[in-house]
Amino acid sequence: MEQPDAIIHQPLRLKIMAALKALPRGERLEFMRLRAILRATEGNLGAHIGTLETAGYIKVEKDFNGKKPRTRVSLTEAGTHAYAEYVVFLRAILDGESSPASIGVATHAD
Amino acid sequence: MTLSPNEAADTLRDIAAIETRSQRVYGYHRASPFLILWGILWVVGYGLTAVWPQRGNAVWIAILAIGLAATFAIGSRGSAKVDARGIRRAAIANSRWVFPAIALIAFAFISSTFAVMGPVSGRQIGAFIPLVVAAGYALRGIWAGARFVVAGAVIATLVLGGFFLLPAYFELWMAGVGGGALILAGFWFRGV
Repeated sequence: MEQPDAIIHQPLRLKIMAALKALPRGERLEFMRLRAILRATEGNLGAHIGTLETAGYIKVEKDFNGKKPRTRVSLTEAGTHAYAEYVVFLRAILDGESSPASIGVATHAD
Repeated sequence: MTLSPNEAADTLRDIAAIETRSQRVYGYHRASPFLILWGILWVVGYGLTAVWPQRGNAVWIAILAIGLAATFAIGSRGSAKVDARGIRRAAIANSRWVFPAIALIAFAFISSTFAVMGPVSGRQIGAFIPLVVAAGYALRGIWAGARFVVAGAVIATLVLGGFFLLPAYFELWMAGVGGGALILAGFWFRGV
C-alpha cells in the first residue's frame, strides 16, 4: 500500500480539497465563502491554502470585484488527482486492503 | 501516525459532508441572480398588469421574452468565464440546453393545464404560474438545500394568501410582496 499524501493528510487541507472538488470542474470558490463552508478562521485557512498552492494542488487568484479585493481558489489537475488518490487510500483501509499498522504518512507537513 | 478503519470512515464522512455543503453553497450562489432577476420582473409585470389590466397579455409576453433572454444570458455568462480558461467545454455544451429545456417543459405543462382546466381568469393564471415556480424550487431543495424549500414554501404561501385573502389587490400584492420576496430570497442565497 502506498503512503498517503502528507500534504492532504492534514484535516483542514483535506477539507479544503473536498470543498473545491465538489464544484464543477475548473470553477473557483471565493475565500470568504470557503471559510464559511469550512467554518475555519481566516489565518488558519490562509496558511493551509498557501501550503496547498505551493504543492501545486490549488490555484489562488487575487483580483478586485469593484473596489473590494477578492481571493478565489480552484483545484488544479494535480490537486484533483491527489484528492482522488487520497480517497482511494481511505477506502482501501475500510475495505481491509491494508492493516492499520502498515498505514502511515511518510512526512508531516502542518 | 496510523489510520484505523474507524478513523478512515470518520474522515470519509467528514469530507462527504463538506462536499455536500460546498455543492449547496455553490448552488445557492448560482441561483441568486436568477431569483433577483425574476423578482424584479414580477414587480414590473404584476405592477403593470395592476395599472393596465387590459394590456396584461402584452405585458407578460414582453416580460417572459425579456426574462428568458436574461436568464439565458446570465447562465451563459457564468459558463463563459470557465470556458475562457479552456476548461469544462463539454459541461458548457450540455448546460446551454438546460434553461431552454426547462422553459419548454414548463410552458408545455402550464399550457396543457390551462387547456384541461380552463377557462381560467387572469388572476388564476397569475397565481398558478408562481405556484408552479414555487413547487419547482421546493422540489429542487430536496437535493440542493433547505433554502430552496424555504423559498418555495414562502412564495407559495404568499401567492395563496394574496389569491384568497386579497383578490381585489392580487396583482399589486404579487408585485410588491411576491416580487419583493423573490428579490430578498436572491440576496439571502447570495449571503451564504
